[in-house]
Amino acid sequence: MFAAQEDCFEYLQQGQLLLGLFGEAGPLSWAVWSVPTVRSGWIQGLKSLAQHPGGLHFLGDSGAVDALFSLQGDSSLFVASAASQLLVHVLALSMQDKAEGSPSLKGSAWPACAQKIVAHVEASLCSTTALQITQALNVLTTTFGRCHSPWTEVLWGQLSPLVAHLLDSEPVPATHSLVDLLLSVARSPVFASADCTLWETIARMLSCLSPMQTGPLALGTLKLQHCPQALRSQAFGVLLQPLACILRATAQAPGPPGLLDETTQGCSMTVDTLLSSKSACVGLLCQTLAHLEELQPLPQHPLPWPQTLLVEAVVIILRLCDGSAAPSSSEGCRLCGTLAGCIRVQRAALGFLGTLTLGTSSWELVPQVFAILLETLKSPASSPTVLKKAFQAVLHWLLDSPTPPGCSDLGPHTPLFLRELFPVLQKHLCSPCWEVRDSALEFLTHLSMCWGGEANFREVLLASDVPKLAWQLLRDPESYVRASAVTAMGQLSSQGLQAASDSPGHPEVQQGLVGELLHILSVDSEGFPRRAVTRVFTEWLRNSHADVVQDTEWFVATVLQMVSRDLDWEVRAQGLELVQVFLAQTLGQPNPSCPYAVALPKVTPPSPLPEVLRTLCQMQIFDFAFRALFDCDRPVAQKACDLLLFLRNKSAPCSGLQEAGDSSDVASVEATLERWQVGEQGQPLGSLEPEVVLAALRSMDLEGLQSRLAESSDHVEKSPQSLLQDVLATVALLEENVADCY
Amino acid sequence: MPEIRVTPLGAGQDVGRSCILVSIAGKNVMLDCGMHMGFNDDRRFPDFSYITQNGRLTDFLDCVIISHFHLDHCGALPYFSEMVGYDGPIYMTHPTQAICPILLEDYRKIAVDKKGEANFFTSQMIKDCMKKVVAVHLHQTVQVDDELEIKAYYAGHVLGAAMFQIKVGSESVVYTGDYNMTPDRHLGAAWIDKCRPNLLITESTYATTIRDSKRCRERDFLKKVHETVERGGKVLIPVFALGRAQELCILLETFWERMNLKVPIYFSTGLTEKANHYYKLFITWTNQKIRKTFVQRNMFEFKHIKAFDRAFADNPGPMVVFATPGMLHAGQSLQIFRKWAGNEKNMVIMPGYCVQGTVGHKILSGQRKLEMEGRQVLEVKMQVEYMSFSAHADAKGIMQLVGQAEPESVLLVHGEAKKMGFLRQKIEQELRVSCYMPANGETVTLPTSPSIPVGISLGLLKREMAQGLLPEAKKPRLLHGTLIMKDSNFRLVSSEQALKELGLAEHQLRFTCRVHLQDTRKEQEMALRVYSHLKSTLKDHCVQHLPDGSVTVESILIQAAAHSEDPGAKVLLVSWTYQDEELGSFLTALLKKGLPQTP
Repeated sequence: MFAAQEDCFEYLQQGQLLLGLFGEAGPLSWAVWSVPTVRSGWIQGLKSLAQHPGGLHFLGDSGAVDALFSLQGDSSLFVASAASQLLVHVLALSMQDKAEGSPSLKGSAWPACAQKIVAHVEASLCSTTALQITQALNVLTTTFGRCHSPWTEVLWGQLSPLVAHLLDSEPVPATHSLVDLLLSVARSPVFASADCTLWETIARMLSCLSPMQTGPLALGTLKLQHCPQALRSQAFGVLLQPLACILRATAQAPGPPGLLDETTQGCSMTVDTLLSSKSACVGLLCQTLAHLEELQPLPQHPLPWPQTLLVEAVVIILRLCDGSAAPSSSEGCRLCGTLAGCIRVQRAALGFLGTLTLGTSSWELVPQVFAILLETLKSPASSPTVLKKAFQAVLHWLLDSPTPPGCSDLGPHTPLFLRELFPVLQKHLCSPCWEVRDSALEFLTHLSMCWGGEANFREVLLASDVPKLAWQLLRDPESYVRASAVTAMGQLSSQGLQAASDSPGHPEVQQGLVGELLHILSVDSEGFPRRAVTRVFTEWLRNSHADVVQDTEWFVATVLQMVSRDLDWEVRAQGLELVQVFLAQTLGQPNPSCPYAVALPKVTPPSPLPEVLRTLCQMQIFDFAFRALFDCDRPVAQKACDLLLFLRNKSAPCSGLQEAGDSSDVASVEATLERWQVGEQGQPLGSLEPEVVLAALRSMDLEGLQSRLAESSDHVEKSPQSLLQDVLATVALLEENVADCY
Repeated sequence: MPEIRVTPLGAGQDVGRSCILVSIAGKNVMLDCGMHMGFNDDRRFPDFSYITQNGRLTDFLDCVIISHFHLDHCGALPYFSEMVGYDGPIYMTHPTQAICPILLEDYRKIAVDKKGEANFFTSQMIKDCMKKVVAVHLHQTVQVDDELEIKAYYAGHVLGAAMFQIKVGSESVVYTGDYNMTPDRHLGAAWIDKCRPNLLITESTYATTIRDSKRCRERDFLKKVHETVERGGKVLIPVFALGRAQELCILLETFWERMNLKVPIYFSTGLTEKANHYYKLFITWTNQKIRKTFVQRNMFEFKHIKAFDRAFADNPGPMVVFATPGMLHAGQSLQIFRKWAGNEKNMVIMPGYCVQGTVGHKILSGQRKLEMEGRQVLEVKMQVEYMSFSAHADAKGIMQLVGQAEPESVLLVHGEAKKMGFLRQKIEQELRVSCYMPANGETVTLPTSPSIPVGISLGLLKREMAQGLLPEAKKPRLLHGTLIMKDSNFRLVSSEQALKELGLAEHQLRFTCRVHLQDTRKEQEMALRVYSHLKSTLKDHCVQHLPDGSVTVESILIQAAAHSEDPGAKVLLVSWTYQDEELGSFLTALLKKGLPQTP
């Protein structure tokens, strides 16, 4: 840290202190050098030293760079990686000064330190040990990733033949690192101009490595902004190979070659290669599907995108996994044996199938996708993780699937599909696995949020037992499920979709849901359901839900009474959110986030402020907010502070109230608040008058509190004094109880 | 060369942030995914960049195994699965699966509340992470895929803690997680069968300690609590909701019952029921005594311990309160501490480790004036006591477990370097087992000698059977055949079948030998003499005299020829195939002795 500043560095140098840390007599002879954290710390030290020319020269002269070369092969991965990073750092720094202004600087004119590092990298690239080659490649990858000055182009020009030469070895060494390097170079803006050798090397690599190894390179190439079209086609072909193989192996009859086959022309991959071993086959398919899933939504994804064939391939893979495919060829049968029941592939395929809705224009595909998704959802063999992915894919296909021209709403297949889907959904809401019940509820929430207004959807939903089952899940033994059920019921109720028997004009049942949710809020032992209830209530209030509008004040007061006692600070914070919404509505704050405000029965027009304040006092909102202001949990206090500031500012121009109430009342309130502040919250505030509250509010330094609360509480622990105390205390304690852990 | 590779990303010569990568027979497994309680920057989670370098995480890792619910073993899990992007299976026991999300949620709330962290995992992420969990039973062999299997063993330590055996083919590794070799009031002792793994990865927290008697510590604890309430003081015991808290509750409950004490004991609201719920649900995981008495009396339904309400803290008179969290860094325990700290009659007992930066750590290190938020200074006048009740195996226990499992090698994690060094020496000397203690990021590579399955062709077996010898299970038999490798499989087949399958032509290898005999007779006559000599000597073999004058015995061919230099001598050319090597040698030796004189 000292040596990072030039004058301190010189001071240390004068005392010849630094030399002791480097060179022959330096660290290598220390006993503690065997401790990896010491080596790591030494590298950190070097990094801060290399901030200025003096330090840099010193590093070159002291032999520290040589030590870094050997640390690249350190037994600890973390030390080795830090050493490589530091080499790049030193290289970049030494080039920074020299290279500026002279872009065409030749390698031979580079600073000695840089030349030394480059020579080491060159020597490592020619080495026969894979480890050394990997180290050199990693240094280069980081260099091209971080430095985008013209000198890097010179460097690549010098080293690219050595890199290309690596492809001549059999097997190609350090393929992972080689892929990373090529992509790092290709991404560098310095190489935006077409560098033929780079593209040639990538093309060669794509053709000579195994599909498992080339996958990441192909994906990386396709993600590049600028890249020759031929290379893009080749890379895309590599990604499509495994799926093309599957389609070929499972084709019922040798029909005309599909688009996929044309794209992958010249690809030598056979089903035999794919099936060389089960784990290799599964690994390759998962990787391919994940890569395609990543590629699909990108703007630069290859065109033409063989959508139809991809959907077909994914559907057949899912069929192979669930055992419903009946391929006639022997390869197909082998594939069937390999993939049957393979959850990993199933999940990857469903993930990709979900994204395949994007940009789909052919609605003819929809029925076969719906069919396989239903099959997966119905299958008793589907694991909870597979079902979750299937639900997500269904959501994508329902909400984003294309409709034929002239078809206005849900498209021709959807109503039929929904009729088949709901019995399955019902079944999953009763699953013995909480994961499945929860995923089903999440699915229901999403779907009704988007389609609550669709007549077809409403009809099918209300005709089913789904709302009833969702209601029952409010009493589920698993708290996660209860929380999801609360959210789902909140959503259904907002859309008037509560249960088949309740029509919107059936207040008792509606009141029943409010009652049920209040019950959960007051007695549930877990935080998630209680948090979900407060969120639902806030949403209801914001959207002027019919039951809330009936008696908003009673509703808010009841909820706050429960929330104020809650042990979970997130419930209390959510309670403040509810108050905020309420205030915005009663104090006439325009609320742009309320789209239904116009359509629903008129929100009460803003009442005169004194009246509103009196109501707030009666509802004990101030009591709640002041308690929250001194809450031991910071986010609650922060929110309460914002809220009180809002109230104070709103009431500032209020002329209908006296400047201050009875001074003795004010003093008593202030005294109580002071006690609350030091944690004695036993005594209540009692009934308050608006004048007294306003006076108390004005006397408080809310702005000061707000800025204090905005700081993370870390500032207390991280203040130098606090740290020093900790250090001193730790030294005294060092020998005792250090190894104990909870 | 096949090998097992182990790289600790955390817990290598360190306590906290347990995360160990094991590579066994091509399968990669992550053991635990913990966080470090001592850091709140990026050092808090293990450095996963090492694995992300190897391509997509889900493709690289075959599974993640969590040994128990403590945060230094599972705290980084939602970060790893939902933020770094691991989408594969996560294995843990049923109790761990049930309790883990509670502690993760608690940790998240404290991180977001106290530190104001925005970029932290959310409740939804914890839930999504827990949905990836596959729960396992004790001693159930779980097939992760066709080759990889895992099995859980009881580890004591906390409810649901398990040791895991990871097995691929004949190679195996056992990871102990944290364990306790002596039973306590509510949990049993760790146990594993003699599974002889290639490697045992064991915790070594108490590597150099032979712990003092637990009884002494407990007596000390009860004495201190009792003295404080006797003089009218209040006792605060900050605990984490589940774990040691139950042990201490049982201890106090029994003591109160025996001494007939009336002073109230409280436990944070909500948590008693929650803890009770889980102990009831997983009663089979507790010790024998609790299980046996469960039907008559549930040990976790306490007579003297009541649920706590905030207002009780201001009540006058003595009381004992168990409050969460355990390090006094937030929440109820901190609230009560602030109220009671000013009175010297009161006492706070810290039953476990406290991380730097927490109020717990500060008071344990002797600070008496604490800077609280809002620039307030809190003067601590109450007594502060530290008593370790954590349940780890001591040196004796670790040695005992190594003896039980009989591994080929041992690897130490979750301990301090100095202490590990001592234990390593002890293990190597006393048990004659090689022992390793890699630091974080260091890789230990162990060569293994895997057994490779070889199929035997039916034809070969039938031929062997045809020789009349029935196979015996206990007696090894020698079987000759040709080993071929095809489609990554090894098979032992007859040489004919091997030739056929591999499409190779057969080459005959013949040995030849010349035998010089002093004899002046013609070659024809010579051959005839050889024939009759062999015919009479080798009664069991088929000896033939062929029209061209040569003699054969089985595959052995004998021809007589004139000696090129010595007209008084003849040469017998003997040639045989390698199958008849024994007979060939015998005949040569016989012929070298000369032919019998004609009568």
